[in-house]
Amino acid sequence: MTGIFLPYLYTGGVHKHGLILELLEDLGGYIIQKVVTGTEVNLIMLIPEKDVHLVKELSDELLGVLLVASLTGVEIAVVSPTLASHHLPHSACDVAEYLRHPGANTNMIGLARGMGRRVSLSMDYERKLINEHDIAVFTFGSFSDCIINKKPKLFEGIEIPIVVTGGPELKTEEVPGADLYVGDIGRVSHRLRRKKETDALDRLNEEVGKVADRIRKQLAKDPLAVLPARVMKEIENQVPDIKRILSPAPITMQLNGLRVKLSYDEYHEKIENLEFDEGVVLSELANVSRSKMKNYILIKIKSKSDVGFAI
Amino acid sequence: MEVLETFIVESAIDSETAFYRQIIEDNLSSLRLGPAVGRIKVVLRPEDSLFQMVIILRDVGSKLTTLDIADVEAKAGTAHEVVISIKKERYLPDLLKKLWGRYGKGNISQPDRWTVAVDSNRPLEEAEFIEKMIVADPRHTLHEDLVDFAIRVTPEGFRVRYHLFKGNRFVFVASEEAMKKEWIEEAGAMLEELLAGGKTR
Repeated sequence: MTGIFLPYLYTGGVHKHGLILELLEDLGGYIIQKVVTGTEVNLIMLIPEKDVHLVKELSDELLGVLLVASLTGVEIAVVSPTLASHHLPHSACDVAEYLRHPGANTNMIGLARGMGRRVSLSMDYERKLINEHDIAVFTFGSFSDCIINKKPKLFEGIEIPIVVTGGPELKTEEVPGADLYVGDIGRVSHRLRRKKETDALDRLNEEVGKVADRIRKQLAKDPLAVLPARVMKEIENQVPDIKRILSPAPITMQLNGLRVKLSYDEYHEKIENLEFDEGVVLSELANVSRSKMKNYILIKIKSKSDVGFAI
Repeated sequence: MEVLETFIVESAIDSETAFYRQIIEDNLSSLRLGPAVGRIKVVLRPEDSLFQMVIILRDVGSKLTTLDIADVEAKAGTAHEVVISIKKERYLPDLLKKLWGRYGKGNISQPDRWTVAVDSNRPLEEAEFIEKMIVADPRHTLHEDLVDFAIRVTPEGFRVRYHLFKGNRFVFVASEEAMKKEWIEEAGAMLEELLAGGKTR
């Protein structure tokens, strides 16, 4: 694997932002996502560790801001008990939106029958969908009795790290099955913008960042056969149809794979036969399967020990 | 009775009471029910999956005609139109809906935010009609809003519901389990207590 890449978020004007893209290409970094809103542009990118100062200098020259985006390349499932007005748009949307600030891609998942105490349950399909992500954030309500005694049954079958948000101040150990609990984000019917609430959201971002770091460390012990960012770049080069996808993140990076928003039936062979300079194709390095989400393509990259080599 | 002279939320754990009070406040204001509610008491028992709420409403006022919310003037000369100058903007959508229904969208114009002009061949007669037209009936929408409010503030899983709306009293009990008679009786006792107690906040 070549060098170490650090995740950064550039925010600045659209004017001359192409210079950043060019510089990054010269340095061998990767653009993960580019969002243009009016005259502003947000670039989420991976920069080679030793060249960060070059990008920083250029961004200062363009009067932009370069920030560390700790959740870059992490796909998070924000799971709310249902998609009823009790949970939406606040607080589940606020949580999902806030997690995007440090670079994460979030998907909101409303369970069909997640509400209630005795009656709440999740379906096999929903569990598989959640397991496609890197981290699951469950947004629960205001009662400690529910969070401690009743809701954890929704965690059954979830194999990825579980983060729980709720109203009361609880310790993580008190919530069975959770890897992290963040309080002060319970059920609310107004936008989360008071000091206490935004502080809680900041804490959530910080703690989820730590969870992501733990996964990264775990992965580093047995590295992936290929960097997800490199697969992303190759898909952009070899499957030009991806440029016609209007979704904000046509290729969504995950810590150990990617979600490609193309129809599985039409494109899976092209993706499997993606060629790398080293002379291998993607199907040797990764499992390409049908995603539970909208018939998309899900790529899970195998580890170096599985494949025998890494590129 | 003053607006919200009693507002009680009870639960086993104090901090959770505050969360719920906030939810109820938010929903009261987003449905603009604040002015209509005189006294409200909510009791939560999550361990029993029980939610009880009783409300005593204030006098919500009578039907509103166009004259209550606007000035109406007939321009009989060359213009042939009725000019309505809005005083209470809140009821403008209701008024427009009625006018559109009667005269068609093509005959209604809004030169500015506070003015609605209606083209008509008989401006004097029409002005008289519009003045007396009933624009809004707060009592009619109140019931809908109250039920909506009750469903919004109840924990979502509590789908077994009992509700009673009689005069100015509203009783709502919700649970996840089969409804028990005692719960409704308890809510009835809460109502009596609210009726008796004046300012207890």
